Parts: sequence; structure tokens; C-alpha cells
Amino acid sequence: MHDAARTAAEAQAIDWVIRQRDPAFGDWDGFADWLAADPAHASIYDAVATLDEDLEALPPVAAPSVVIYPDAQRRPSRRAWFGGAVAAAMVAAVALPNLGLFADPNRIETAPGEHRTIALSDGSKIEINGASVVVLDKERPRFARLESGEAMFHVVHRETDPFVVEAGASRIVDLGTAFNVVRSAKRTSVAVSEGVVLYNPDRDKVRIVAGQVIDAGDHDAKPPKVRDVDVANIGGWRTGLLVYNGVSLNVVAEDLKRTAGMEVTIAPEAADRSFRGALIIDKDRNRTIADLAALSGTKVEKLGGGWVLTR
Amino acid sequence: MTEASDRNDAVQGIEGVLLANRDRIVRFLQVRGAGDAAEDLFQDLWMRLTERETGPVAELLAYVMRAANNLMLDRYRSTRQSERRDQAWSDATAVQGPSAERMLISREQLGIIEQAIAATGERPARIFRRFRMDGIQQREIAGEMGVSLSTVEADLRKVYAAIATARRRFDA
Repeated sequence: MHDAARTAAEAQAIDWVIRQRDPAFGDWDGFADWLAADPAHASIYDAVATLDEDLEALPPVAAPSVVIYPDAQRRPSRRAWFGGAVAAAMVAAVALPNLGLFADPNRIETAPGEHRTIALSDGSKIEINGASVVVLDKERPRFARLESGEAMFHVVHRETDPFVVEAGASRIVDLGTAFNVVRSAKRTSVAVSEGVVLYNPDRDKVRIVAGQVIDAGDHDAKPPKVRDVDVANIGGWRTGLLVYNGVSLNVVAEDLKRTAGMEVTIAPEAADRSFRGALIIDKDRNRTIADLAALSGTKVEKLGGGWVLTR
Repeated sequence: MTEASDRNDAVQGIEGVLLANRDRIVRFLQVRGAGDAAEDLFQDLWMRLTERETGPVAELLAYVMRAANNLMLDRYRSTRQSERRDQAWSDATAVQGPSAERMLISREQLGIIEQAIAATGERPARIFRRFRMDGIQQREIAGEMGVSLSTVEADLRKVYAAIATARRRFDA
């Protein structure tokens, strides 16, 4: 079958799958005629229909959406908050999929390897990497907390109403910008790709401009030092290109877990290796891990569903 | 009427439908991909439908045809799985969980599919979730979202096409 014919047949298979989801579907003869029209139809349908069955494993949506009102004085009622009746307000809605039935609707948690984009009502956007938790506050539309993991913030700047991101003990205040934040093991890293942010304005008052990064521990006595970073590589997890300029392999392993859901363990004797280089998150994860091993001078072994890097 | 005789009636009803539509069902199984095995699969279907408890069924023939279709889907799944057992890699990444061994896609692939759904836009993604995850009928979704039925249909097609495209990349 030619590609075009295959695509057309797949579109027809999709139509049958959609129609058959109706419990009252009764056109089985019509379906049989379609199958008989081309011997390739049955397997194309099988692929689409089993895929449709597997979608059962997609997480359910508890609260279909959360509406964030830019005006805090207008307290939304509980019904307006959770209800599907606010279709008109949906334009400004933040879709929060993947929430458990009783989960806090303001808490967005991603699985390892799962990426998610949240659009806020003010036009700001948060891209969340895998294995991360971001908490929003309906009372404070210009606020987000990164509890753990990594997220890229694209913030619409407002002179009188700065956007604030909290990460552990750190506060990051935008001065009109896009920036990537990583929160793990009591450390916060902030890399700015556009504009300026102010790090801990009450304490450290560190200005980070585009092309700069800071890496701060929660208990550091001194304000963090600003380092240079290539803007093109900030938030590289979004495109599947991770670029490093001398980090420990444990940092790379954490990134791979978040970004691609890969379980990589670094053997203790390899942990002090510093890594430089670019990693592409390949569809074939074995290739990504082979690249990492080759570039870091380590050996790779499979372990369960993951890998171990040894010297 | 007692519950037991209700059930009896249902079984007899299904046997009646199976007998009366034997050729039609066998032909369906044939074109559905069973080929020469269609006769044997008709027997499997018979066993499935007469041994299993069934509640009252409104459209018996539609019910039987759906069961025949599901039988073929199960067969496809089993074949694909035994093919995959030879590939250590997909085994290692398979989803962990009670239904894991039945799934043809991994959790990670599911994540990619979720992204593909989200990338179709807010309204199509929402319509898809109402339809597929919440089991709401298209007409109802149209009313609920204040859009036409054809918009709902078009959005569903769009999302399913995006999912199928994402799925194809796993095999490449």
C-alpha cells in the first residue's frame, strides 16, 4: 500500500473506531464491507483499535480545568472553579490534566519523561519537565512554586505586578522574561534565556540576565555567583537536546530521568567524572545512553529497566 | 421471572443469534483478518458468549458482532506481544502494573501520546478527553461545549490522527 493510501485507510479506521465507541453502534455490515474492500484494512484497523484500548491507561481528568482570574477581588465560587458550566471563561482557563480524582487541582505533577505545558490566564506559559511538581495558587495568578524538578517559565511582564517563582527557599522575580528553573536536593538553579530576573530580592538581590545561570544551595551563606551559559542550550530538555559544560554524571542522570524517564544509576567510582558534551534524547534510548558512556569514558550495563554507568 | 431463567433466556437468545447468523459472522471474521481460521474462531466466540454471564442485551446481533470484533483484537494483541517478547528492549520498558502485560505501549510512550494530544490544541484535547476518558457521547459534548456536532467529530478525528502518528514513530 502506498503511503497516501495508507494514511487514507488509517483515517477511515479511525472513523470506525470513533463510531464503534458508541454503545449503540450497529453498522457491522458496513464495517465488514470496508474490511473486505482491501486486505490491508484489517491490520490497519487492529493497530488503531488496540491503541485506542490502550488509551484507557491515560490518567483521568478530575477537574477538567482551573480558571485563574487575573482579578483577585472577584472570588470565583467553588462551582465556577470546578464546574464545566464556565465554558465562556474557558478561554482564560488553565487545563490541568493528569490529576488524580482527589488531587489538589492546583498541583501539577508529571511522571518521569512526561512534558507538559500550562498556559496561564495572563498569557504566561510554564513548560514542565518530567518528574516535577509545580503548584499554582488561584488567589495569586502571578505566582508559581516549583516544588521539585524543572520548568521553563515564559512570563508576560507587568511593571507593577511581577511574576514570582518560588523554589525551595529561593524566590525568583521576573523583570520580563523567559527562564528555566531546576529544583532538586535542596538546590535551585536558574538559567535566563530572555530578559532579566531578580533572585531572592529580599536577601541576595542577584540580577540574572539573558545568557546567565546561577546555582544556589538552600543553606549557602553567600549569594550565588552568576555564570555564563549559552542561551541556545537553556531549557534544552524541551527539544531533547541536553548540552553540558562540565557537570557531574549524577546531574546528567537526573536530567535524563526527568526529560526522558530514563533510570540511569552512576556507580560511585564514576560519580566524580565531569561531563562535557551534547546528548540527544533519541527515540532509541540505548543510543542516548551509549553516547553518554562514550563521551564520559564510562561503561554502560543494563539493569532492570535502566542502566548503570561504571568506569 | 426469576434471575436464573432470565439468564437462560439470554444464553438461548445468543445461541439463536449465533446459529441464525453463522455465515454472516464467519464472513466477518474472515475479512476481519482470521482467514482460514474463521471457522475455528467462530467456535471460540460461541464458547466465549455462552459460558460468560451476560446481563440483558438490547441488540443481540450487535452484541455478538462486537464480541467477534473484540476476539480479533485480542488475537492481534497476543500476536504482537509474542513478536515483542523477542525484543528485550521493549520488554524492559513495558509498563509496570496489573494490566501491563496486555498493553502494547509503554508508560513513556503513553506520555508522548499525551503530549501529542495536548499539541492538537485546547479544545480538541478537551473534546477528546470527554469522549474517550469520560465516555461522553459526541452530541452531549457538542451541547456542553457550545460547538456543533461536526466540530466535535472533526476534533476527534484530528486528535486520533495525531495519536496514530505519534504511535507510528514508536515502530519506526
